[in-house]
Order: sequence, then structure tokens, then C-alpha cells
Amino acid sequence: MATTSSGGEPEHATADREIVMSRVISAPRELVFEAFTQVRHLSGWWGPEGFTTTTRSFEFRVGGAWDFVMHGPDGTDYQEWITWREIVPPERITLLHGESRDDPNAFESVLAFEPAGDETRIVMHTVFPTKELRDEAVEKYHAIEGGEQTLRNLAAYVAELTRNETTPKGAES
Amino acid sequence: MARAATTSDAFNAIAEPQRREILVLLRGGERPVTELARDLGMSQPQASKHLRVLREVGLVRVRGAGKQRLYDLDAHGLRPVHEWLGGFERFWSGSFDRLDEYVQDLKQERREEPPDGDDQ
Repeated sequence: MATTSSGGEPEHATADREIVMSRVISAPRELVFEAFTQVRHLSGWWGPEGFTTTTRSFEFRVGGAWDFVMHGPDGTDYQEWITWREIVPPERITLLHGESRDDPNAFESVLAFEPAGDETRIVMHTVFPTKELRDEAVEKYHAIEGGEQTLRNLAAYVAELTRNETTPKGAES
Repeated sequence: MARAATTSDAFNAIAEPQRREILVLLRGGERPVTELARDLGMSQPQASKHLRVLREVGLVRVRGAGKQRLYDLDAHGLRPVHEWLGGFERFWSGSFDRLDEYVQDLKQERREEPPDGDDQ
């Protein structure tokens, strides 16, 4: 399960407009990194359960872009456009994520891949230009995820989340 | 320490583990209180009490079907919880689930390839 903290550090100036998530994937980091580098890989996992993607163009290099459409399980299409700002194999990827090339509300995410024994910890740090844009992104992805099924799944997710909080095992650093 | 009423909002309502269990059971579709009570190993009045709390905060709804009253998950009531968790986080959490599965397949593929098998 991904651990999430949104605005966890009150003294931090960007706390109300950033989202930090981390997740441990049980594979070596070269392999995890590779899953981010090719469109045949990305289209195999991008988006939550039930989503598929159709790629218009893809160029994995600094300044290159991935122009694609995300298809939701309810048939809704979402335009997505990603450009890479920094690629440091197998350590770090910085990307700009928006709906189109000139999306003024695009936001930057830094994905760090850290070795953790035989596994890899991905730490994703996203800072939005303003708190309003953060809230908008949360709303947008809320909409993308919308639908009865997602909310049904959420009931289980929330239950698990709360259960994990009460019975800590292998506390996250 | 003073506690907020369980019926004040969805967060307080789902703070109770058995009520979360009820929500999980209802994911599969609507159920009568008798079945819920049986599956949770509680008395029917206990289950009804929990269901009343969940109804008051809009997490479940009920409809009469003949003699039975069927309870169903009301996704609308989860909206505040969902918003609190954040769509963006949920999006990535789902993607990371799929990434994990995908990478496991990739790992398996690589294991099956001959050791000198290079990319073409």
C-alpha cells in the first residue's frame, strides 16, 4: 500500500501545495525504472485498475513528450500530456504532467527510485504552483477516478488504511 | 477526552471497526441485516444500531423488499472521505498497484530469457 502524506510538515513552506507518496515495489530498481522508460511498459500499468491508454506519440528523453489518451472503465477519455525534465537512470525522473502541451496548470513530479534491499522504494514528490492548483488536481483526479465502483473500492481501502494505522507492522520511515 | 458523535460525519462513523466491516461486506451488493449480523458474529440489534449510524451519515441506504429491509452502500456518503484522501493520491496508488504487478511479470520474463539474451 502506498503511504501518502499531504502537507505533513507545517513548517515547510510548500506543505499546503505538495503531495508526497511512497511505495515499495518488490523488484530491483533497474527493472522498476525500466517500467517508466518505454511506452509498451507504461501503457501496461499507467492509471488505476480498469484504465487503458492510447499513445499518440512517445519520446523518452529530456524535452521529449508522451502524448496519450487515458480511457476510464466507464468509457470516459482523458487527454494526458507528459514531458520529461530530468532523466537520471536508474535514480530519478522529473516530469511535467498536464492535459496538453501548453497546459498552464501542468505540475511537476519528481520520482526518486531508492534501493531497499532487493526491493525499490519509489518516492514521488509533487509540488503544485499554488494551493488552488493542488486542490484542482486532487479534484481532477477525483473526477478521473469517479464512479460508483471506485467509491465502493474505497470503502475497503479506507478500512484497510485505518486497520494498518491501529496495528503498525514495519513502520514506514 | 470528549468524542465527537459517531453520527456527526462519515469520518466518525467509520472510526468504529465493525462499521467499517459492514461497509466492506456491502461492497458486494445489498444485504439484509440478518445476513450482516451473522457474517459479523453480532446480534441483530447490534448490527441495526451500526446500520443506523451509517445511514445517518449517508454511508448506507435502505429499501424495503417484501418483509426484508435491504441495506446498500451509498457511495455518495464516502465523498468527503474520498476527497480527504485525494483523487491524485488515489490515482497514483492505483497506478503503483498496477506497476507492482507489471514489474513482477517483467521480472518473470527476464528470468525465463537466456542469460545472454540481449535486446535486439
